[in-house]
Amino acid sequence: MPALDLAPLRVLLGDDGVLDSRAARFTYEADALVIEKHTPDAIVLPRSTDEVAAIVRWARAHRLPITPRGAGTGLAGGATAEHGGIVLSVNRMDRILRVDADRMLAWVQPGVVNLELSKQLAPLNLYYAPDPASQQVSTVGGNVATNAGGPHCLKYGVTFNHVLGIVVVLADGMVVTLGGEAPDSPDFDLASAVVGSEGTLGIVTEICVRLLPKPQAVKTMLFDFETIEQSCRAVSATIAAGIVPAAMEIMDRHTVRLVEAWLGIGLPLDAGAVLLIEVDGPAISLGPQVERITALAKQEGARSVRVARDEAERAAIWKGRKSAFGAYGRAASGFYIMDGVVPRTRLAEALAGVGRLCAERGLESGNVFHAGDGNLHPHVLFNADDPKQQAAALDASHEILRMCIRMGGSISGEHGVGIEKRPMMRELFAPNDLAVMERLRAAFDPQRTLNPGKILPGDGEGVHAPAQMGGMRPVAVAEGPWI
Amino acid sequence: MSLATGLRERAVSPEPYRLGQLEPRLAIKPTSPEEASEVLHAAAQEKLAIVLWGGGTRLSRTMPSRGYDVAIDLSGLDRILEFDPEDLTVTAQCGVTLETLRATLGARGQELPLESPQAKRATLGGTLAWNGSGPRRRRFGAPVDRLLGARFALSDGTLARAGGKVVKNVAGHPVHRLLCGSRGGLAAILEASLKLLPSAETRVALIYGLKDWEVAEVARWMTLPRLEPSFLTVLGSAAAAALSEKARVDAPFTVVVGIEEDQKFALEQEKHVIAALGSPAARLEGETVIALTQTLCDAEHQDAAHLTLTSPHLTPAALGPFLGRREASRLVFHAPAGRLHWFPSDEVATALVLALHEAGFRVIEKAGPVGFQAPVAPEAAIAPLRDRIRTSLDPAGVMSAAQV
Repeated sequence: MPALDLAPLRVLLGDDGVLDSRAARFTYEADALVIEKHTPDAIVLPRSTDEVAAIVRWARAHRLPITPRGAGTGLAGGATAEHGGIVLSVNRMDRILRVDADRMLAWVQPGVVNLELSKQLAPLNLYYAPDPASQQVSTVGGNVATNAGGPHCLKYGVTFNHVLGIVVVLADGMVVTLGGEAPDSPDFDLASAVVGSEGTLGIVTEICVRLLPKPQAVKTMLFDFETIEQSCRAVSATIAAGIVPAAMEIMDRHTVRLVEAWLGIGLPLDAGAVLLIEVDGPAISLGPQVERITALAKQEGARSVRVARDEAERAAIWKGRKSAFGAYGRAASGFYIMDGVVPRTRLAEALAGVGRLCAERGLESGNVFHAGDGNLHPHVLFNADDPKQQAAALDASHEILRMCIRMGGSISGEHGVGIEKRPMMRELFAPNDLAVMERLRAAFDPQRTLNPGKILPGDGEGVHAPAQMGGMRPVAVAEGPWI
Repeated sequence: MSLATGLRERAVSPEPYRLGQLEPRLAIKPTSPEEASEVLHAAAQEKLAIVLWGGGTRLSRTMPSRGYDVAIDLSGLDRILEFDPEDLTVTAQCGVTLETLRATLGARGQELPLESPQAKRATLGGTLAWNGSGPRRRRFGAPVDRLLGARFALSDGTLARAGGKVVKNVAGHPVHRLLCGSRGGLAAILEASLKLLPSAETRVALIYGLKDWEVAEVARWMTLPRLEPSFLTVLGSAAAAALSEKARVDAPFTVVVGIEEDQKFALEQEKHVIAALGSPAARLEGETVIALTQTLCDAEHQDAAHLTLTSPHLTPAALGPFLGRREASRLVFHAPAGRLHWFPSDEVATALVLALHEAGFRVIEKAGPVGFQAPVAPEAAIAPLRDRIRTSLDPAGVMSAAQV
């Protein structure tokens, strides 16, 4: 490919808005799915919608694909420039444009960091509810692209439920506003198609988000059980009793031991599983809720309950949960993380399946997951220097996701499909289903210039290649990139 | 045998499917998703304009956008397919009525907070296709917010699904969400999976009678949005006549505040509302609040030309400039949802729509004989994109959406 003449883009964006050095291209060759690397031809960093539109028109004229990118924390390869071309980073589009506290909404640029938005809103006693695990670094734009969830989406819903409107640059460079500050639109809701489309339908340049009043109070509980089945039954019993906590997270025996060996925070080493439940809302309601949940958990076999007495103890409880990812990194040189979903009522069965599928292949596994919404994150551990173990781990990962599909679930609850799960789409959906999605995609982007190849297993996009599940060589970190 | 003949063999009387002066040439009532898909395809091959029917509660007030040859009545697909209370999800066919769902789910202490006028007739599919909502929209979301996945049929005979049945799922393009609000113009929704809620432990409604200047007073409502009442609806005196005797007050405007919480918090919320608005003229609780909520939905359907408008306003004060108008006696405004139902006379419609536009209200539906010149809205810019999507899902151009 002849060298690109990036001069027009430098005029538009300034020298620091266009990167094409070898080092810069190397930096942007992958998102958090680091086994899938593709070097872009250049990286552009616009500051405004108009600049994004100009870049899109330029790239279209040069027949170059564009891959939008937020903070690059995605675990599915969605922000990796698989076909080269331009990576469009929204990192310089990081302004909160307007906050309307009376109407409880805000307009933001896509590069605003999720947690930073809530921090800025705190003096108004408002917050932005979606809280993906990566919220300290991930951007609202990236969250919109993946329709990100988070531990508290059990009660509050996912990103889609909190987006009122978006400004989008379409594949032809046209700028449109989909939705707006009002909650409804005439005709069908185009914004609902763009949220979660991983940058394939348009590039989102402004977002109007719905804000919520900060909960008056929070109570965090930690239960320990002899078996993981008991902890899963406690989850079902809570939901069936008409209680929807803000978060319900389970760590299995293996994970508890790894985390405790690392952090020494007092987790019970003989527990088959620990269940973290958080309720929030009016202070007057939380005491009775804690009592009811505790009674239900004890009925299902909880041996003990620890209720955080203050914010420091709450943070300590959450630290255990948030450190699981790093703890796995200390235990094995490689692991695959999955993002499968099963109906809540089949959690225990699914976890037994995970254990069996790994044990049959001589592999260790651990489970730390969003139990309240059935979103599993099995970790299959392997020696990254042993190709046989790696292949066995890959095979186990496939089988685990197939099991999720057979149970009526999904291959992704919150990470997105990206490159990683693309081949599995043929197992989750029938050809007709995928064909309709293709038709929708073509209506937005007939030339497939926006993040081509992502989500749908099209021709020449590895349809027949073996699935490439998320493989990591993690570094040990206490907090931050947890799932 | 021609396809048209095949269709005729399945036809039922077209008379109940009249829309104004329009009567379809054929009406068909399939009994399975496969039959619905087959009928749709057959009609499309004949280039017959198709109007999809549910309970007909909203459709009867509109005109089809692309003509009207065939009515396909989906109300026969009326089974609840899966309901597991421990999963807080339900999967049902599109023809099941909201009332049936309410009764089935309510028996297990759960609810699907979809709202529509005439819940006895309104179907799940129709409510989704309209993305219709009512007084509780801000608190519990629109139908699209609760939709997990759907099975649907396109006019070319494609039977497909998108989304899934689990509460969290980001795999694939969410075509199912796009069908919400399409009013039958893209595809026929045949089955849907939705997220449920536990039924509220306590329901209370506080009812106030106010004068126009009291409704318009900004300070009065300041604290209400952050209390997150389940509804806060303003009715003009004529609209309020539909309320039950216990809920009726003698005032130009009736304001109804709904609280749905656990018992202790409901009591606390009630105190906050009273602190802001004073003692109510009437108070309802329990099952009567459910009936009242349905009445507030039903009040949207009056025997007159009708505009539905959306806005970002969360409080009744936004209505201030419009409360002196003669037609204000018929208005229904679900304040936290920003949704206004107005029943204008034809001669004032254009001026009214312009004034409402200036005040942040956008027309999203019209029904009946009301004409107005719409202000230019951002919607105009996305018309080509909408057309491309319509063409991609309905290449024959036969899906005749309800025109609003």
